[in-house]
Amino acid sequence: MLVKKSDAVARRSGARLARGLNAADASVPGTLDRRSFLKRSGLAAGTSAFAGQLSFSMIGKAEAAEGKSAATAVEVKRTVCTHCSVGCAIDAEVQNGVWVGQEPVFDSPINLGAHCAKGASVREHGHGEHRLRYPMKLVDGKYKRISWDEALNEVSERLLRLRKESGPDSVYWVGSSKHSNEQAYFMRKFVSMWGTNNCDHQARICHSTTVAGVANTWGYGAMTNSYNDMQNSKAIFFIGSNAAEAHPVSMLHILHAKELGAKVIVADPRFTRTAAKADHHVRLRSGSDIALIYGVLRHVFENGWEDKKYLEDRVWGMDKIRDESMKWTADKVLDVTNVPDEQVKLIAETLAKNKPSTVVWCMGQTQHTTGNAIVRMMCNLQLALGNVGVAGGGTNIFRGHDNVQGATDVGPNPDSLPGYYGIATGSWKHWANVWGVDYEWLKGRYVSQAMMEKSGITVSRWIDGVTEKNELIDQDPNLKAVVFWGHAPNSQTRGKEMVEAMKVLDTLVVIDPYPSATAAMAAMVRKDGVYLLPAATQFECAGSCTASNRSIQWREKVIEPLFESKPDHTIMYLLAQKFGFDKEFTKNIKVVNNEPLPEDILREINRGTWTIGYTGQSPERLKLHMKNMHTFNPKTLKAQGGPCDGEYFGLPWPCYGTPEMKHPGTPNLYDTSKHVMDGGGNFRANFGVERDGTSLLAADGSHSVGADLTTGYPEFDHVLLKKLGWWDELTDDEKKKAEGKNWKTDPSGGIIRVAMKVHGCHPFGNAKARAVVWNFPDPVPLHREALYSTRPDLVDKYPSHDDKKAFWRMPTLYKSVQQKFKETVKDFPLILTSGRLVEFEGGGEETRSNPWLAELQQENFVEINPKTANDRGIRDRDMVWVKSPTGAQLKVRALVTERVGTDTVFIPFHFSGWWQGKDMIEYYPSGAAPIVRGEAVNTATTYGYDSVTMMQETKTTACQVVKA
Amino acid sequence: MARMKFICDAERCIECNGCVTACKNEHEVPWGVNRRRVVTINDGVPGERSMSVACMHCSDAPCQAVCPVDCFYKTEEGVVLHDKDLCIGCGYCFYACPFGAPQFPQSGAFGLRGKMDKCTFCAGGPEADNSEDEFRKYGRNRLAEGKLPACAEMCSTKALLGGDADVLSDIYRERVLKRGKGAEIWGWATAYGKPEQKPAEQPAKTGEKS
Amino acid sequence: MRSRALAFMLALAGAIVLSGCGEKEQVVVYKQGKYQGKPDSKPWDATAFGGDKAKWEASIRARNQNQNEYKRM
Repeated sequence: MLVKKSDAVARRSGARLARGLNAADASVPGTLDRRSFLKRSGLAAGTSAFAGQLSFSMIGKAEAAEGKSAATAVEVKRTVCTHCSVGCAIDAEVQNGVWVGQEPVFDSPINLGAHCAKGASVREHGHGEHRLRYPMKLVDGKYKRISWDEALNEVSERLLRLRKESGPDSVYWVGSSKHSNEQAYFMRKFVSMWGTNNCDHQARICHSTTVAGVANTWGYGAMTNSYNDMQNSKAIFFIGSNAAEAHPVSMLHILHAKELGAKVIVADPRFTRTAAKADHHVRLRSGSDIALIYGVLRHVFENGWEDKKYLEDRVWGMDKIRDESMKWTADKVLDVTNVPDEQVKLIAETLAKNKPSTVVWCMGQTQHTTGNAIVRMMCNLQLALGNVGVAGGGTNIFRGHDNVQGATDVGPNPDSLPGYYGIATGSWKHWANVWGVDYEWLKGRYVSQAMMEKSGITVSRWIDGVTEKNELIDQDPNLKAVVFWGHAPNSQTRGKEMVEAMKVLDTLVVIDPYPSATAAMAAMVRKDGVYLLPAATQFECAGSCTASNRSIQWREKVIEPLFESKPDHTIMYLLAQKFGFDKEFTKNIKVVNNEPLPEDILREINRGTWTIGYTGQSPERLKLHMKNMHTFNPKTLKAQGGPCDGEYFGLPWPCYGTPEMKHPGTPNLYDTSKHVMDGGGNFRANFGVERDGTSLLAADGSHSVGADLTTGYPEFDHVLLKKLGWWDELTDDEKKKAEGKNWKTDPSGGIIRVAMKVHGCHPFGNAKARAVVWNFPDPVPLHREALYSTRPDLVDKYPSHDDKKAFWRMPTLYKSVQQKFKETVKDFPLILTSGRLVEFEGGGEETRSNPWLAELQQENFVEINPKTANDRGIRDRDMVWVKSPTGAQLKVRALVTERVGTDTVFIPFHFSGWWQGKDMIEYYPSGAAPIVRGEAVNTATTYGYDSVTMMQETKTTACQVVKA
Repeated sequence: MARMKFICDAERCIECNGCVTACKNEHEVPWGVNRRRVVTINDGVPGERSMSVACMHCSDAPCQAVCPVDCFYKTEEGVVLHDKDLCIGCGYCFYACPFGAPQFPQSGAFGLRGKMDKCTFCAGGPEADNSEDEFRKYGRNRLAEGKLPACAEMCSTKALLGGDADVLSDIYRERVLKRGKGAEIWGWATAYGKPEQKPAEQPAKTGEKS
Repeated sequence: MRSRALAFMLALAGAIVLSGCGEKEQVVVYKQGKYQGKPDSKPWDATAFGGDKAKWEASIRARNQNQNEYKRM
């Protein structure tokens, strides 16, 4: 048995799956890869929970049968985990085209080799046993295999027919935060050329309130600092974030900071695993964040802990916030939040006396009808403490999906073209110019200029776009077709109403590696008109993705697309061909074998996205960073020597100007302690220069280091440049292109170059942050009770907004729903809230299809307090019904735990595949059901949308729990 | 050198199960077999602590001591391994092990004829290093590639450390010094009770006579 | 005489009993490609290291420091 070392074949020569599987069947030639093998053998069709085991024993036999043969070389491909926004790098070992091994990338300054359960299991994507393998269509209630040709023909015929009959606005396109930047950007371009603004993606139901609230406060809607920068924090305040489960690798930096003395406080209705690692846990009532933060601010102001100089120099309107905070006395805060004053003071004192201090929030704050106001309270807290634009401070907003930040920045948003340019005439002209197409042609694709410049329906409301009375919606047709392009239906609220909408659609198209949740829901209520197209994962194509900290990383293609799947951008190109705009679509982009090259797409993004500095990150620079990760410092993200010397890892946006200008990227936004060419900055002048007779520009003397202008100043355009006498510093060519333009539309980048490189000034101006956002429904944030509140007494004191008529093309209800359900507490006395588990991600189809993860969480459950359970005769592990005011009910396992208070129950949102007590297995396409299925919490969630962004309410609704 | 050991820093472990799936991934461990698992105490209440547990590669391994067919052996680096060709799957080692490390897969290659399976410290088994036979029976041999166990190398917060005990203790000591405390769920206080409180700190009991 | 025989037997029994208290050898011995009778090769004998134990140890040491983020931050 002991073989001499010379006989031992080197390095994984066993080659695991690859050759092993080839040899398992003598009829299969030796060169066949695993993918083809699975296809031929039919092995992959197994849906058993023991699929992993099955394939494992196959390998054993196979390898034994094959014996020894010459090993082929192992290639290492560097990619990035696709399961959250931390951006953990992965080295994939590939042999014979098969992903045989996964190694930690210790060099990565972001994760230093670390992974959570999801990241440590991504190699399973190379197995993909539960993937959709080929295009399918619903025939008589069953999914049947069809060819790509048939699929593309039938889908395009149906959509073109609808376009002809009802106009382009009758089709809704749900894009994805799991697309690469290139694909997300392509999606917006594709939908524009189709002729509608009816497109959206997960950011709507994730951090849309953050993006709107934060951008309107100080300029950009993104995490200001980084996971790494939290090592500099002396106090960290989590509220509505369970980082230990949702962003586990961020805890590497956070626990490191804690070890060095940082104080950690977690405010959450649950005692989360993050709370278990904190110094203090504050249990607030779900949805009462604004009241709590006013309480904290009252202590800050009463004790004079605010940063007075900072407020004077850099903040506008804090006096109004101060006045409001004084109304939130200890007893009022206690009444609304359930948090006693000593804990409120503890938060204030900890943050004020351990500076720099930072705050972290996630869905616990954003997914409310008041989300936009809640997040602005967090900004105001940090502004009052002078913590923004400071290493170790800032608002560290942890995003969800791996590329939700990038898809927000350049992807399919219903109210904006890539780069937050908006959809005004000038914005369209800018992008038409970048795309190399005629503006008039683009306009002709839309029904009218008015519809071209009207924000589309949001993904949170597509249901109503289908079912709402036609005269009540703000576009001509109702929605007749929906294309789900990488989006899980179970992550959206009002599931019960969603199947009704699915029922009446003309056409439903699902493009996804794991389309099964949508597929099963549709097959439950329909007989035909549903198409499933298999998309490739991000491990099967190359492209860039933007982590939460705005660092952009380039993924190499690990393996060829499995089965018959195709990359999303290839599918877009093929559909564009059918729709007849493929030439315009790829004017500047080389297409090889129907695949538009990702590098070319990124270069096009670089040429147009000046606003947020997506211009400096050329594919060449990004690839250089991926190769030289070890040269970056994990605390500052800055390269020390090497080919990227002085640059920040992943050129975190804004990375202004052309790639040749060599801006290093911006590690912490608005940081005046650095030169703008070293990633420094200040707040953005985006809201005018004056308000109520006072200046909105920064005070004299407040500016980024080395700026030639030492006062506040407006954003740069050709006029300002001429006034300052800097115009002649442009080259002749730049002058030609910059004439009549501002820094955002100057295609030469010359205005930016002169302002930044020559004069050290910020192209977007130097202004104050706004504590009061006068263009929002509650300029000074106000606490308002949830629509389904369990506190009718508080509904009277803190009522919701008035109903809105045409809001993102939809009538939207607030007070009328709240009043109707005011006494809901009588029948539904418990607050239902939802959140993440570490093992699964998003809607969960992908992760629940991975046996290594699925084994760890095999059924859905509801967390319920022992007292609440005992009052209802429920014991631990009992099956229970969770009943919703909508009439929906969920059958889940009771997990009796003090993790939740007596007034709250919690259900994770990653499950689908059960419908009100019934397993939906019969509705899945054969072989494509995930291993673990369970009741989707959103089948039972209720109506309610944010008053600015149409964010859905998921975190505060009402329910009752009874023994099943 | 080298006595290979694991140590899990409970102040850092966040029960993310990264170690569990890293192990599954690395060795293609079948469903139902847990060479490594995360154990949590005080779940959901203050004092909640988690720890990742697998074979501890004991110096005087009870499994080895009780095995009736003497299938275990200990390598020079201090890793406890066993020979599945000798193992009869009796489960006596399961009685002896204080950590629940031995697993008894029902099927699949690891479960060949009911053999015991456990963490190998990513060191394979008696078969030739990095051979197909070794991978099939024991999983991958990272030590022979100059690497350390996948679970420890991929731990999300670097709570689980695996490698040369000397080095581990240096790494761990540095953390303890930085934060001024150990893991709190194990160690001296857990084993032998908390040290006596100083009399001055005890609240004076009134009306008590000596 | 009987008492002498008894004393001898007691002494013998004592010696046997005491030997049970003795510590078993804990030092691992690698003989003829075998650990305690079970065959295995040493990790540094694998192709990557070709028997160079020092090289293997250096690799393990370096690798170990990857688990210590204080080395880099």
